[in-house]
Amino acid sequence: MNKSGETILSVENLFVSYGHVEALKGVSLEVKRGEIVVLVGSNGAGKTSIMETILGVNQTRKGRIIFEGREITNLSSDKIVRSGIFLVPEGRGVFSSMSVLDNLLLGAHHNLKNAKEKTAYVYELFPVLGQRRNQIAGTLSGGERQMLSIARALMSNPKMIMVDEPSIGLAPKIVNDIFKILQNLNKEGYAILLSEQNVYKALKLADRGYVLETGSVVLDGTSEGLLHNTDIRKAYLGA
Amino acid sequence: MAVFLAQIVNGISLGSVYVLLVTGFNLLLLVAMIIHYSFPIVVVFSMYISWIVLGLTGGNMFLGLSAGIVSAVLINILTAPMFQHIMKKRGDVDINSTMVLSMGIGMIITDFLSHSVNSGFPIAFPDSLTGRGEPAFIRLGVISMSRGDMLSLTLGIIFVLGLFWILYKTRAGRAFRAIAEDPNGAKLVGIPILKTGLQSYALTGLLGGVSAVAMSILLGSASPGLGDQLGRKVLAVSIIAGLGNLKGGLIVGISLGILEALVQGYWSGTWSNSIAFVVMLIAILVKPKGIFGMKL
Repeated sequence: MNKSGETILSVENLFVSYGHVEALKGVSLEVKRGEIVVLVGSNGAGKTSIMETILGVNQTRKGRIIFEGREITNLSSDKIVRSGIFLVPEGRGVFSSMSVLDNLLLGAHHNLKNAKEKTAYVYELFPVLGQRRNQIAGTLSGGERQMLSIARALMSNPKMIMVDEPSIGLAPKIVNDIFKILQNLNKEGYAILLSEQNVYKALKLADRGYVLETGSVVLDGTSEGLLHNTDIRKAYLGA
Repeated sequence: MAVFLAQIVNGISLGSVYVLLVTGFNLLLLVAMIIHYSFPIVVVFSMYISWIVLGLTGGNMFLGLSAGIVSAVLINILTAPMFQHIMKKRGDVDINSTMVLSMGIGMIITDFLSHSVNSGFPIAFPDSLTGRGEPAFIRLGVISMSRGDMLSLTLGIIFVLGLFWILYKTRAGRAFRAIAEDPNGAKLVGIPILKTGLQSYALTGLLGGVSAVAMSILLGSASPGLGDQLGRKVLAVSIIAGLGNLKGGLIVGISLGILEALVQGYWSGTWSNSIAFVVMLIAILVKPKGIFGMKL
């Protein structure tokens, strides 16, 4: 794996509030090129808020987000997608009334050049999507929708893919498949920022992790280190 | 049987105009997220602009009709910032407030037409445009179509097909449908919401302009109250088909045109509006969420 150590994303001291509720209270984190970084934490800890803020969905109150050396704080989502970040949202975010192909092309909305080559590439990675290209996405199974959502991300020419809670609602075998897919994508060079409640599996997959509690990073380190940390073992691994 | 067939053809002409109007209304509802009740009033305003320019240029068809189309696009784009201002604060403001704004625009236009154009009397388009008084263009048995009927029918069909082609086969259309299904999801995949909303204003403006041309030819006249009457019909068709249901709007719009034409053929033209509304009332009682289901 090519982990050059060069930082691709850095989030510095990020504050976000929804009305009077503070969702993020000074979060800082980094993703290096070629890395898988996992955000660990319970519901409401701020995992989704971090991803949505990076994508420009939420306005920040304070702090900066730098992607590939360029500040992207509070840019509009379409500009951020253009710069090479794509989100695979919690619950897949697939457009169920539209065809599989339409869903894929939406990922490349900002750049339809080479759309043919890109669809051929994702059909090769996910043959089932190729077979069902003209089917309405609403007819796909949960696992297939998750694949469609990941494939759609690839259509956007991303440099970093954010994957929010991919295992929710999926059977364990399918979860393994999805994790395998993420690992393969990482080997191809995509940086991945992952949020996951399945802490053990996520840490096994990732290079590094950040542990979040009520909008703050309380712990961070290499996956190996976190897996052996007693607090983590007590709180998330039931040991 | 012959009357029946003739009225079916007439009904499709009228229906295709309804389809253009309903689809414009639905697009604004789905993509720009506004309830533009007065969209047909804007269209009638464009008919008036065509009529005025026809008068000024001594009946230059090209200039007259182009002016109508351009004015519809312009009005839509000029009023867009007001709607977008409301929609930017969508979290705090209800979509219904856009309907109030739309009704206000409609009232101003209707008032203007009633006071300031042709002293408020209905306007009539020249026979050279509508083809009235000419021998029938096509005659098949008892079915005869004037040049004007033919033209508006062709225009209606081409633009309805073109519109659905844009919606289902182009990049912009794909973005329209994505926003219509899930505005937040559309934002996450990088679709610029406000810019795409603006494109939908331009497209519906164009639709409105074409509808204005088709109606000028088909109806041959307009009055200040026509817009309100059409506004009610378009809203009703859209609700009965299922709010925001584009394909439903296509079917119900054509059906309404045919129904009205049949009533005119077999009974009396003066009752066609009332009967259409009675039928629509029954439809909404049987299917409260619209015959083809809401798509909001």
